[in-house]
Amino acid sequence: MPEPFDALRRPSERVGPDPDFAAELRDNLRRVILNGADMTTTSEAPASTAELRSLTPYLAVSDARAALDFYVEVFGAVRRGEPILMDDGRIGHAELAIGDAVLMLAEEYPEIGHVAPQAGGASVRVEVPDADVSVARALELGATLIRAVSDSSYGRGGSFRDPFGQRWLVSQASPKPEPQPKQGESMYFTFQVPDAEPAKTFYGAVLGWQFSPGSTEGAWGIEGHGRPGGLWGGPGRQVGWKLMFAVDDLDAALTRVGEQGGQAGEVENHPYGLTADCTDNQGIEFWLWQQPAGRE
Amino acid sequence: MRPDPAFALLGLYETALPEVYGYLLSRCGDRTLAEELTSETFLGAVAACRKEYAPPVSTGWLIGVARHKLADHWRRKEREERGLRLVADSTVSDQDVVDPWDERLDALRARQVLESLGSHHRAALTLRYVDGLGVPEVAGHLGRSVHATEALLVRARAAFRRAYEEKEGRDA
Repeated sequence: MPEPFDALRRPSERVGPDPDFAAELRDNLRRVILNGADMTTTSEAPASTAELRSLTPYLAVSDARAALDFYVEVFGAVRRGEPILMDDGRIGHAELAIGDAVLMLAEEYPEIGHVAPQAGGASVRVEVPDADVSVARALELGATLIRAVSDSSYGRGGSFRDPFGQRWLVSQASPKPEPQPKQGESMYFTFQVPDAEPAKTFYGAVLGWQFSPGSTEGAWGIEGHGRPGGLWGGPGRQVGWKLMFAVDDLDAALTRVGEQGGQAGEVENHPYGLTADCTDNQGIEFWLWQQPAGRE
Repeated sequence: MRPDPAFALLGLYETALPEVYGYLLSRCGDRTLAEELTSETFLGAVAACRKEYAPPVSTGWLIGVARHKLADHWRRKEREERGLRLVADSTVSDQDVVDPWDERLDALRARQVLESLGSHHRAALTLRYVDGLGVPEVAGHLGRSVHATEALLVRARAAFRRAYEEKEGRDA
């Protein structure tokens, strides 16, 4: 019997999400798949990638304790270790992680010329997930606006002077382009063995690899660092490592395989791209892979 | 040897993302929440597709994962709202309204009403009517027995109808 509630039925429709979100999720997904990390829970904080890079700002601030709180609140900075407290009560050194970079600071020490600028001075450019939110919070906490957040040809951003004398160029972080596989790069491997169990025992003990059940009997996903790969146990296959290489144009590559005395296999169309099994001119098996169209 | 099935997930990402996100957005009506649940869906799918006997990775399968994430979300939310509901539910008794109801629903108003309901009612009605699942499937998603789900659906329909008629009165 039809009922009025049937009017609620709604087939799902395609909606493209925010491109920044899409790029970030793609990166996370890639990382989870390639690192073989167990991500059944997504609540754990990502490990910080902050470390000393080629350039690290070292600030002189008027009130280091307040400044540390301010940068945590405004930039989402994370404290690195305990500040070094001097005998006179001033903070002699402190570090914060902001994104993948480190910020160092100390209280003013006029005796060695370590003083906060009274006016003007250098600016530090900082990338944040949301420039509007960061700048608004900074102003609430006593910063002075230099340039309101706006869109420009270098992205969205603004600038302010914080209550401790520092000038900041706040930029909305843009997604980093995903590195594209290059022709000849190995993307994946299978390790073909007469029997999967001894191989799992051996490589588990030697390299610490773990194995997740694959889609077919005798097939195992290898979970470890580096190039993703799979283990295939059972008779009837060439024993050894079989690498999958990226190519820009699979058809052209298969022609070259034939010209050079190799055997080119049939092209298979998979969701993850086009592949073909091949054999080189000495009978060693490998695969070729071309990434799906529209992902360049 | 076929590659890690999760590899297929990456390959499918560009096509499946608008489907999964569109599904979630139309059901939860909140971009931030839809993004959160979309992340949970794809990241959760990595482990799920590597399980033995997991079905092949496809957009349809991912929508199923998304539906589970959405139902989980509503269950968490329901626990938070439970205190509130004890009060609210006492005002909607099953006898308040007779179940056969032959109103032709205005789609937009119906959607707004659905969004205004408590999580437990919203979850039951969305899975049953918006997604068109059978009662046993709805029960599976909500972690309730079929009997309890039927009772919940009766109360949810009553709450919906009340809110709809109230809104109709206001909008008219």
